[in-house]
Amino acid sequence: MKLVKLASITKKMTLAAVGAFLLIFLPMHMGLNLCIIRDDGGEWYRNVCHFMGTNWIVKVFEVILLATVLIHVIVAILLTIENLRARGSVRYAVPSKTKTHFGSKYMIWTGGLIFAFLVLHFVNFYFAKFGLVEGVYTVKTEKLQMHITDKVLDIQQQMESGKIDQQKAQEMMMNLQMEYMPYLQLTQSGQPADKLSKDGKEIINLRGKKELESFAGKDFTDYEPDFYVMCNDLFKNKMYSLIYLLALIILGIHLFHAINSIFQTFGLNHRKYNKAIEYLAAGYAVIVPIGFAIVPLFVLFCK
Amino acid sequence: MNLTLKIWRQENARAKGRFETYKLENISPDCSFLEMLDILNEQLVNKLSHPVCFDNDCREGICGMCGLYINGRPHGPDDGVTTCQLHMRRFKDGDTIVIEPWRAKPFPIIRDLVVDRTAFDKIIQEGGYISATTGGVPDANAIPIPKHKADEAMDSASCIGCGACVAACKNASAMLFVSAKVSQMALLPQGRPEAAKRVQAMVAKMDELGFGNCTNTYACEAECPKSIKRSNIARMNREFLCAKTCSEE
Repeated sequence: MKLVKLASITKKMTLAAVGAFLLIFLPMHMGLNLCIIRDDGGEWYRNVCHFMGTNWIVKVFEVILLATVLIHVIVAILLTIENLRARGSVRYAVPSKTKTHFGSKYMIWTGGLIFAFLVLHFVNFYFAKFGLVEGVYTVKTEKLQMHITDKVLDIQQQMESGKIDQQKAQEMMMNLQMEYMPYLQLTQSGQPADKLSKDGKEIINLRGKKELESFAGKDFTDYEPDFYVMCNDLFKNKMYSLIYLLALIILGIHLFHAINSIFQTFGLNHRKYNKAIEYLAAGYAVIVPIGFAIVPLFVLFCK
Repeated sequence: MNLTLKIWRQENARAKGRFETYKLENISPDCSFLEMLDILNEQLVNKLSHPVCFDNDCREGICGMCGLYINGRPHGPDDGVTTCQLHMRRFKDGDTIVIEPWRAKPFPIIRDLVVDRTAFDKIIQEGGYISATTGGVPDANAIPIPKHKADEAMDSASCIGCGACVAACKNASAMLFVSAKVSQMALLPQGRPEAAKRVQAMVAKMDELGFGNCTNTYACEAECPKSIKRSNIARMNREFLCAKTCSEE
């Protein structure tokens, strides 16, 4: 009858253990998000995003995190199917009037909604990183300059080795100049101003692949998604902010029961500190969603 | 009191069940719930129709035989009592009372409101006992056990195996029952030598019989007529984890 030949308690402990791992991740993500509040034109936030996007330890954890979420979802679905089967074909005519912990009956539903939000979140932020959806991009001028210099050197080399004649080389140089005209204008005159970062080291605010290509050319791949601009744009959309805030409330409900449950499932509770566990769960389930909620509220009302 | 009863009627395990409505008049508020059903059954028999089948035995709340799902709560609206200890004064004149059997796949219906709770016996058979002969009642204090431990074990042992925990649980999980049985012996020195084997065997049987998984909703604790605590479930989880990781059994 059992879907997976593991004891019920083993399955529950697996669910709890991977859930506990996700609890470590959330405050970290919250801390990174809060960097956006600093009034520095997104310098901190961009640095943090750059670190998270390039550091190899983070990349390893990204894979572990994804696996963790998948295990959590799969085990939860397995347990729910077993639970539905255990009731039998005929259900009670009168719905249960037993008083229970708020949210404890709806874990699979709150979990499902959080997963749906996660998909939306991935589409908005994570997919842009891999170019699966249109994002906003930044390019480091130093890297682009090197890329262009490489191309110029390549043409010179080809000419010197006799592969192409001088006329052809000149033509290629002209084409190159034409291709990078917007970039040259930007670095020389600083126009358009909103595309250049304050220190002049980055081309920012490139909306979509097309604009990216207009500045950096078609074969330049060393760009990064500009989460600072994407984040601000998204949260200025009232509908998106509302969905985000609702998802946080649901997350809080899920977390409150989840944290209490982890201790119960591992048998780590005791009447001496059961109250402390409840306060910990309530504190976490309130503070973490509020920490996340500060970002959309700040973008909506303080910018 | 005048009452309308909606009672689940089902010929046998395979037959399709349905609700039947009965009107009862002049019921004394001092009647117990089961006496009220006795009165209904007398009237039904007098009319030459089948009486409503329901389980009961001691009628003083200690045997664990009775158990009805009354208006959305196992054992009715009172906390910490069995159906037989429920009295009609808890209802109002003119009330409609819906009575259903325990609904869980491992508890098939035998007839009407009677369910087959052999599943619980099968779980006990897997290790809910001490295999060594313990002899007669030992002298008091022959085995030193702290008072609080003895009290805790006694609290766990007060489970009467009525099945209200399974009936109340949205997942039809038997964790409260099994954990009470595991705890009462894990807490005392006589039960310790076989504790690791016991918890694994009883949990395996519980899973095999098709009970659901615990989601820590604690409807079981809220509805248990003997107020068995959720801490028993935590203890069983702990015992299970230790048994799987540290024992050779």
